[in-house]
Amino acid sequence: MAYFILKRLVQSVFVMLAVAFLAFSLFRYVGDPISQMTGVETSVTDQEKLREDLGLNDPFVVQFARFTGNMLQGDFGFSYRTRQPVAEMITSRIPATLELGIVALIISLAVGIPTGVYTALKPRGFVTQTILMTTLVGVSIPTFVIGIMLIFFFGVLLGWLPTFGRGGTVLLGGWETSFLTLEGWRALLLPAITLGVYQLTLTMRLVRAEMMDVMRSDYIRFATARGVPMRRLYFKHALANTMVPVITIIGLQFGGVIAFSIVTESVFQWPGMGLLFLESIRFVDIPVMGVYLVVIAFFFVVVNLIVDLLYVAIDPRLRVADVS
Amino acid sequence: MRTRLLKNSALVGGAMLFAAMGASAETFKWASTTDPQTMDPHAVNSAPVLSFLNNIYEGLVRRGKDMAIEPSLAASWEPLEGENGWRFNLRQGVTFQNGAAFNAEDVMFSYQRASSEAADVRSWFAPVADVRVVDDYTIDFVTKAPNPLFPDSIANFMILDKDWAKSNDAALPARDAENYATMNVNGTGAFTLASRDPGVKTVLSPHAGWWDQVDHNVTEGVFTPIGNSATGLAALLSGEIDFIQPIPLQDVQQVESRDGFKVLEGEETRVIMFGFGHEHETLLYSSDVSDANPFADPKVRLATAHALDLASIDRVLFRGKIEAASQLVPANISGYSDANPDRPAYDPARAKALLAEAGYPDGFSFGLKCPNDRYINDEALCRAAASMFAAVGLNAELSTGPVRDYWPQLREDDFDMYLLGWSPGTFDMEHPIRFLMHSQDNEKKLGSWNFGNYSNARVDELLPLIQREIDPSKRQMLIDEVVSITQDEVAYIPLYTQPLIWAAKDNVDLTQRADNFFMLRWVTVN
Repeated sequence: MAYFILKRLVQSVFVMLAVAFLAFSLFRYVGDPISQMTGVETSVTDQEKLREDLGLNDPFVVQFARFTGNMLQGDFGFSYRTRQPVAEMITSRIPATLELGIVALIISLAVGIPTGVYTALKPRGFVTQTILMTTLVGVSIPTFVIGIMLIFFFGVLLGWLPTFGRGGTVLLGGWETSFLTLEGWRALLLPAITLGVYQLTLTMRLVRAEMMDVMRSDYIRFATARGVPMRRLYFKHALANTMVPVITIIGLQFGGVIAFSIVTESVFQWPGMGLLFLESIRFVDIPVMGVYLVVIAFFFVVVNLIVDLLYVAIDPRLRVADVS
Repeated sequence: MRTRLLKNSALVGGAMLFAAMGASAETFKWASTTDPQTMDPHAVNSAPVLSFLNNIYEGLVRRGKDMAIEPSLAASWEPLEGENGWRFNLRQGVTFQNGAAFNAEDVMFSYQRASSEAADVRSWFAPVADVRVVDDYTIDFVTKAPNPLFPDSIANFMILDKDWAKSNDAALPARDAENYATMNVNGTGAFTLASRDPGVKTVLSPHAGWWDQVDHNVTEGVFTPIGNSATGLAALLSGEIDFIQPIPLQDVQQVESRDGFKVLEGEETRVIMFGFGHEHETLLYSSDVSDANPFADPKVRLATAHALDLASIDRVLFRGKIEAASQLVPANISGYSDANPDRPAYDPARAKALLAEAGYPDGFSFGLKCPNDRYINDEALCRAAASMFAAVGLNAELSTGPVRDYWPQLREDDFDMYLLGWSPGTFDMEHPIRFLMHSQDNEKKLGSWNFGNYSNARVDELLPLIQREIDPSKRQMLIDEVVSITQDEVAYIPLYTQPLIWAAKDNVDLTQRADNFFMLRWVTVN
């Protein structure tokens, strides 16, 4: 097991290097950071000097080597836009994104799994058809439209929920959390639903497909024949076997939720990493963009590792394979 | 620093209710699209930073509600006798927000800081030869040549406390790293920084020892950047914020149709214009002219101007809110040439005739570059213009992009014709002449935004004369000459002054200044 984890971690370093390289080679097409850093009256000579000082005139390979070299030494550099240390900026934004992602994921699972099971067991029922239709509509509307619709309905028209920001947060051992105040929860609700809707549909459809598949299998039929109570059959025998692929997808979804929360964060002015990334693109803030992408890559790597470990925990057959 | 606890959680939730009852506290919340990048007044010369910091820091002079220069930390100023420059008599009894007293040493220190190589605002001090502290409350700025506009040009030169900056290692602005002044302040202004969470929330509280008369009733000012304009509008309409700048033109009706909200409209000092690649040998993006640059011919440029139907653009794209421009500054700006108020009329027949005269009876195709995230309706404007050009045979190949990509393209001469907006930082005609009309000259730092390198020897000769002429009427004659030359040669096609549109709750009184700066000290919450 230790060998398995170690192997995965070594692989991850290469993945992250590759991401950093790709990201870095793309940055040259994003625009010129200098024109965003200086005012209109800054002379061309001064701009050129700044460009030289920041090393932007160096060849791409040199810039990339410097970036990775510094990162490996724990030096994440300073933002071109705010002049703050990038590591500090990103860590201060991580709680917002993670909490949003977790709640979105919980919403998608809490709703997605039961409806998935229900629609699998009653595939031809009226309720099932309605749910399937509704989710199809939900998944075809872009996330930002859903967000704006929620904002206008619950925020502007009804005035029940805040339309932007994180509301009340409490600092808990260096982690800024929304979970401990009512205001925090109120602010979290709309963005989490917005972010969760798409995942919800995916989860539901996946659980439904898997469940229907499992229900058709021999052991379920034999179990039925043996007289195992239906409830026990559905939730013990069938659902447990459904969960293996579902966990993989949930893991990947969580990575996706974090990485693609950009749209939701922008619509709700949610102060997470996605919003920071968006602002950084606008200002061609190369150091922040670079570190963000590496952090996200790291995130995917860790999530995948956890998924693999969960696999092993759920399915005993995989343990044997690992030993051999 | 980050706000640890929400002091007014009840207020956030019940803001709408409070507003409805008219019992709103004096906490004032506002939003804008861009967060100030830094709290350091000398590190970045950009409007979001200078606008925000004007609430915290003060300069020797400041601009009033009508943009006129008025005394601030300098109680008065007069030209130096026997040499070029200005003497500033400083206000006594002014204290910084940390309680330290203000005097000439702070001005001297701030000058050295702001004119240092690490400062992005150093261009303001290019005309300065020497600065001398005469006594604690008198300081002389000696200029290289007579400089009548010097006091006007330093309205955003903000004064820091020398001891505070030095003892906190912030003696110089940080250019590519953070320093104490990036996140902390100590100014003399009406408000001080209560908390700062970059990109999320910045809270201001009144400076109790402020020297001037307090006109506002704000006990706490909370600023939130909201990048997405739909979100910003929703935040206003749901009552979570009291004021937002700017709102998109298409949302004006939405706001006006609701009770309890108002729209503030004005003219910004920014003139939108088309520019040409004067210096280019050939067109870069033409499919039919490969051996010449038709835009080098003033007749073609004039034809282009005559092809534009500004009235239709105003009606269709801007809901009647733009003011046509004949020159590179709007009429209320000093130096505006009253002698040259006419712009080329919409006259497609004349445009065609001019093109024929210039040897292009069937017109030609060319590349038109436009930003799509810089000015109000910039991309739509260019599309409309392109179709108007096409009606006279000028086939514009339009390409648009975000500014972060756009400026580098213009700097690399990658255009045949382009769109530009210009707001004169000094609120004087000399500014666009210096940046847009004088030939490019990196050494003298002139013509740095004159992308097409429009060049006219007489204009180049007139600029230094304008800069040092003290007599207003003689100065105006020199400016009139520049304007009439550039109009005759159609150096640019000035289009219109960009409208300024803010929205607020009805119970808020505030002042909209033409430079789009927002001053918290002019806010009253009723």
